[in-house]
Amino acid sequence: MNWENTLEFARGPFFQVALLVFVAGMAYRLVRVLALGWQPDRVQAKGSRIGGVAVSFLKGIIIWPFIPWVKNTFNRNPITYLAGGLFHLGLFVVIFLGTAHMLVWKSLLGFGWLTLPLPIVDWFAAGAIVAMIALFINRLVNPVLKLLTGPAEWLNWLIVFVPMVTGYMMTHHLWFQYETLFSLHMLAVDVLLIWIPLSRISHFMFYFFAKAIHGSDFGKRAVTP
Amino acid sequence: MEKSQTAVNTFVKETGAWIAAQLEACTRCGMCAEACHFYQGTGNPEYAPVWKVELLRRAYEQRFTLSGKFKLALGLEKAVTDADLTHWSEIDYYACTMCNKCSMVCPMGINLGPLIHDVRTGLSNAQAVPADLHAAVEKQEHEGSPLGVTDAVFKQRIEWVADEWEIELPVDVKGADTLVVFSSIEIMKFPTNLAAIAKIMNAAGEKWTISTKGREVVNFGFYEGNEELTVLFASRVFDAAKELGVKRVMVTECGHAYDALRWSAANWMPVPAGIEVTHIAGVLGEFVKSGRIKLKPGAYDNDGTITFHDACKIQRRGSHIQEPRDILNILAPKSFKEMTPNKEQAICCGGGGGVIAIKDADPVRYAAFELKIDQVNQIGAKTVAMACSNCRLQFTDCVQHFNLDWKVAGLAQLVADALVG
Amino acid sequence: MPDETIGQHLRRQGISRRDFVKMCGVLVGAMGLRYAPPLDESGLPAHLENVRGFTSAAFIANTLEAKQRVPVIWLEFQDCAGCSEALTRSQDPTLVDLVLNTITIEYHETLSAAAGFQAEQAKEDAMKKYAGKYVLVVEGSIPTDNDGVYCTIGGRTAVDLLKEAAQGAAAIIATGNCASFGGIPKAKPNPTGAKGVWELITDKPVVNIPGCPAIPEATTGTIANFIVFGALPQLDSLHRPLTFYGHTIHDRCLRRPFYEAGKFAESFDDEGAKQGWCLYKLGCKGPTTYNSCATIKWDQGLSFPVQSGHPCLGCSEPNFWDGGGFYQGQSAPLDRPTITAVGAAAAAGAVIGVGVAAANRMQKKGVKRDA
Repeated sequence: MNWENTLEFARGPFFQVALLVFVAGMAYRLVRVLALGWQPDRVQAKGSRIGGVAVSFLKGIIIWPFIPWVKNTFNRNPITYLAGGLFHLGLFVVIFLGTAHMLVWKSLLGFGWLTLPLPIVDWFAAGAIVAMIALFINRLVNPVLKLLTGPAEWLNWLIVFVPMVTGYMMTHHLWFQYETLFSLHMLAVDVLLIWIPLSRISHFMFYFFAKAIHGSDFGKRAVTP
Repeated sequence: MEKSQTAVNTFVKETGAWIAAQLEACTRCGMCAEACHFYQGTGNPEYAPVWKVELLRRAYEQRFTLSGKFKLALGLEKAVTDADLTHWSEIDYYACTMCNKCSMVCPMGINLGPLIHDVRTGLSNAQAVPADLHAAVEKQEHEGSPLGVTDAVFKQRIEWVADEWEIELPVDVKGADTLVVFSSIEIMKFPTNLAAIAKIMNAAGEKWTISTKGREVVNFGFYEGNEELTVLFASRVFDAAKELGVKRVMVTECGHAYDALRWSAANWMPVPAGIEVTHIAGVLGEFVKSGRIKLKPGAYDNDGTITFHDACKIQRRGSHIQEPRDILNILAPKSFKEMTPNKEQAICCGGGGGVIAIKDADPVRYAAFELKIDQVNQIGAKTVAMACSNCRLQFTDCVQHFNLDWKVAGLAQLVADALVG
Repeated sequence: MPDETIGQHLRRQGISRRDFVKMCGVLVGAMGLRYAPPLDESGLPAHLENVRGFTSAAFIANTLEAKQRVPVIWLEFQDCAGCSEALTRSQDPTLVDLVLNTITIEYHETLSAAAGFQAEQAKEDAMKKYAGKYVLVVEGSIPTDNDGVYCTIGGRTAVDLLKEAAQGAAAIIATGNCASFGGIPKAKPNPTGAKGVWELITDKPVVNIPGCPAIPEATTGTIANFIVFGALPQLDSLHRPLTFYGHTIHDRCLRRPFYEAGKFAESFDDEGAKQGWCLYKLGCKGPTTYNSCATIKWDQGLSFPVQSGHPCLGCSEPNFWDGGGFYQGQSAPLDRPTITAVGAAAAAGAVIGVGVAAANRMQKKGVKRDA
């Protein structure tokens, strides 16, 4: 198999198409939801809706990821909490603070930023991979997750897992030639980009709305969300 | 499949961007289940809040999204059937109190409580409601109260309370400042509450009244999710308030009524401008703070540990978290201990949302209460105070069922019994 | 004189046997030989069986000495002659020098004193005389569009000349990125339809010695391998000798520790650059570039681009001119949609979204709620 050609394709035209599909798909999903109609909330607020929204977002970013026991449900299902958190943390570190990925952003946005040294990013990547495996097992074992999980969930897991693993192998030159792994990584990333708007992986976009709705509802009632 | 069509049509009509954005945000992580006392108490994964809204999700995806329509055509999605309605009627009415703890826990911030309520609306339209709950709703529609407190019964009870406790309860007084609306649970099951509240209002020098027309604060239409009856029952209170020309309505020790009247009604119906909706928990705090009533410090410090049970609709969804604590810190500074978790993270008693009215839900209701037993026993409390009489009903019933040695106390009662000067 | 042996030729040049063996030691090192292959594969006479005990250097020396100088025909097509320049610029008696003494260049456009008909005739004669024995070295890409009119010598197209020369060649070596993979002429939009040798000659093995230019030692080492062993060296999937193209610049780079430590030059001549930090952020293609620049280096091991402060261009890889830009990060995508395309995609999605939402709202209006 000519991996150089595959690599050129995966980094070139396929990436371009995948990115456009991603943009179109996400725009479609967003508009389709937003244009469905927002009835105004006419209830008189006791507290501040905006304040509630702010606290809701801050808690999501600052408190809960780093102080898990603040949420007393942590004791009951630490796996989802810890592994989910570790996965997301690793993902953000690798995608935004990893030098190789920062250069991708730079080529797309026109500006770059400071990044972390490779060994540190590497540990986060490893952590994220381990977390993914834990989440996979948890989904097989936890009774609620077994009820909720269908083919879509397994597919989501796989399509997210393959780029992570190929990226890690690539960085460490594990078992296969660099071009092979780079090609697989890019192919997997392209598939991921296309799959995101077609699946629940798009949750990161709707996160902001749900969190805002939540913050607003509790803020209006003067209760900490 | 007519019933299921009705339900789905309801879901379709209800679903705007608010619901859609939240349904789209769900990642099937299952964390909501960890907050649900029904799941925790029984281990039944179908009680996971996310599963409770499954029918709403199906309707949304299958009717509003291209991928959902595609999957339905391919058989990868299941359509909603009449059998589903029967099944989910059990899940959503027996095993949910609309406590909203799941809303606090969802990593995406999805407000599952209101979403489950929206499912109940569909079930209600399709007449897939547990019989005894629906019977109570009809009773409230025709008799004014789910517990049968008609005009006549009301008059009789009020007179009896006034007589028995030698206390003044003003009825239908035009121009009063505050309209006090009792729940029929208090009227029929905890009548001492009426006396206690009357005593407090009088001691505070409040210009208050109760109303014959607006005699019932509970809203069983709200429990069922029946939109028309919810509005009807709420309007009875608002109309009475308007007629009597009061400045504010005070919901007594009831939880869901406060949620309905204060935090939701404006989105269902025109609410009278200039009439504030308050809750007795807040009013008590206001009276104590301003010195309008004075409490005997340490009045309950010799009775063992006393704790406060946060009612989902008064504390978590109602904001009156600090007032009961301020009061208990005066009444039992040495003996007041908090349960864990508490305040807006508190665990529901398991009886609200109409659950206690459904006989077939008793097993899961008791199973859910086991979490509360652990909480109370962990701090060795002898008395549990609360500001909601539905919680009080649940606690009282469970104390009997589980043979517990706790004292179950209403906050207003504690205050009334410790008034000085 | 092509008929004398290499040994005789070297003696005539004044190079002693001792110096010759020393040079062969260098050759051994450059070729990455660790041991001498079995005798029968090398074509040596059987009575030299008990060669165990000879060092590799001595073995090479003996082999070379006894052989006749190999005729080489060096064709240049769409080229800049840079690969030839690199080869001929060696100063001291070195490996390159040695190897140049083991071959006779029968035809070389740049180096020839003769020109025109005479030169072409000399080439024809050499090809006839040494048919089946000469090494064909090709420099520069071959245009194929419009019947190959973009490069003609003496009225004949490069395609034609190549095919003719390839017929009688014992071995074909494509030196430089142009001859290997098309090089600069092939860069988008490839107006001449430039191709590498191996895309046109498919019935014989072609060794690619890519680079822009090719590292001289890589070319000569490969030639030497052919001379000594009568066979082409082990090649990778792109037909490059593994000896010289088996590792990436990244894996042999002196600045690698800085890559690992996350110390990068952010711009040319900034503090990091002055400290010799990694050039990854300035677009170094080291990780995907196979060559021996980081080990053998250039100018007799003097330096190579990264060492001198410039990111690797990836010049030994196919299509390096279209590899995303010399100063764009190696990990960045090769193709990016334009802002217009992205805007159009978003707009398309939004429009369809509005359409579906409108249909949904109509559905909401139309449903009857009560049973």
